[in-house]
Amino acid sequence: MNIMPPLVSNGHAMNGQTPLEGRVITVTSGKGGVGKTTLTANVGTALAQLGHKVVVVDGDIGLRNLDLVMGLEHRIVYDIVDYVEGRCRLRQALIRDKRAAELFLLPAAQTRDKTAVNPQQMIQVCDELRKEFEFILIDSPAGIEQGFQNALAPADVVLVVINPEVSSVRDADRVIGLAESQGKTQIYLVINRVVPMRVKKQEMLSVDDITEVLSTEIIGIVPEDEAILSASNRGTPVVCNGKGPAALAYRDIARRLSGEQVPLAEPQSLGWWQRLFGKVS
Amino acid sequence: MIAIKGYRHGLLIVFNGASETPWLTHLRELEAKLDATPHFFRGSSVAFDVKDARLNEEDLRHAIDVLRAREIKLWAVISQNAETCARVRSLGLADRLTSASAARPQEVVKDSTSLPGEAGDGLFVRRRIRSGQVLRHPGHIVIMGDVNPGAQVIAGGDIIVWGRLSGAAHAGALGNAQAVVCALEMSPTCVRIAEAVYIPRSLEHGQRRKRTAQMALLKDQEIIFTSWDVLTHKSRFERR
Repeated sequence: MNIMPPLVSNGHAMNGQTPLEGRVITVTSGKGGVGKTTLTANVGTALAQLGHKVVVVDGDIGLRNLDLVMGLEHRIVYDIVDYVEGRCRLRQALIRDKRAAELFLLPAAQTRDKTAVNPQQMIQVCDELRKEFEFILIDSPAGIEQGFQNALAPADVVLVVINPEVSSVRDADRVIGLAESQGKTQIYLVINRVVPMRVKKQEMLSVDDITEVLSTEIIGIVPEDEAILSASNRGTPVVCNGKGPAALAYRDIARRLSGEQVPLAEPQSLGWWQRLFGKVS
Repeated sequence: MIAIKGYRHGLLIVFNGASETPWLTHLRELEAKLDATPHFFRGSSVAFDVKDARLNEEDLRHAIDVLRAREIKLWAVISQNAETCARVRSLGLADRLTSASAARPQEVVKDSTSLPGEAGDGLFVRRRIRSGQVLRHPGHIVIMGDVNPGAQVIAGGDIIVWGRLSGAAHAGALGNAQAVVCALEMSPTCVRIAEAVYIPRSLEHGQRRKRTAQMALLKDQEIIFTSWDVLTHKSRFERR
């Protein structure tokens, strides 16, 4: 198994002089609890560690979480709804994450609901952000209702996160269909929480099983990792200092998004050491 | 006279001679037509072509009610009559077949007949039909790609899947009992032909259906599957 994901870079050189034309990457799944927020926080942080200017946007208005996972909750003053409704400037709503040079969070409002922002406004917000950032990652809420539509509308790239089980795959299929009907062409799959041993025992779907149904290019396979839970609770994404399998996988996804060719290997049940030492099966 | 036409993104109901006959007469005919084949229309959204008929708001509301009672949504009414168009717009409906929100309808299939079996036109689709998507066409449907679980394909005529059929397929949904469903790999969640329904028994965990090309057809009011050997025209009937 060796899938080479395509270059998804827009080819813009990183220099402070020319205005940036950032790419909007929406992280979505249909089903809840598959790891969208964790992925957004980690891949966003990893992209910033690679030297990119990154903003992560919490699209889950009313049930915000991204600030918690990134440990920025206590620093929220203004949020995306304040900006959309004209109570602050965009700069004021952005929270700088000091763990990387250029990493910002645009938090969601906790006291409102998904109807507080519409897709048109979301496109406008992202058009503003594009001028300042190379990568705009939107953490979509679960479901296919307005919150999802808001997150999808401005997307250049759609990352669909799934767990290797049938209901997640079914929901992803629906989401991919909806994204396609909105004219989205760059749709990539992240298979999250893979336990190679259980795939081997056929308790979990394999990469081939998933590809057979979704036929969507895979941009990352993230193994189940105990480090994630405690990292989320601490508010420190695992990529900040982790060397575990999930941190490695998130970093690989970030490198692929920034245009690097990183071979993708299906985790083997014995293969962690192989992976760690760079041997690709 | 009512004709049901299909275009790439939906159904168009054409009222020929709508200006000569009272609108109520047309609606009765429509009701009869919809009730004869409820499966085909349920859950769809349709457009009307009322030619040069002059309709007032009440006429349109009446039509909307007739459709709503059958879980059908009216999204557009096209007409050559300016007054009708104005009423249509005031009700918040589209007065042309291009909508900004929906995927734009492409070429209107030039002729389609409501008589199944003679349905001369086909809809050719080259993509995967995903969960939650419904493909509906009064003629035949040919799909180059898989039909995923949770997807639905509903045709007035035959359905041919050049790929794996894992979703639900309803051929002859306008009443044609001669219609067939063919797939390179037949593993549907449900097959209907005209009024008949076939639901396969569920598989044991990990068990897979045989990957064989099959054709589903109606014999003695029962759906049977044959190996689909079109090249040699040999059909070996087998019960599943």
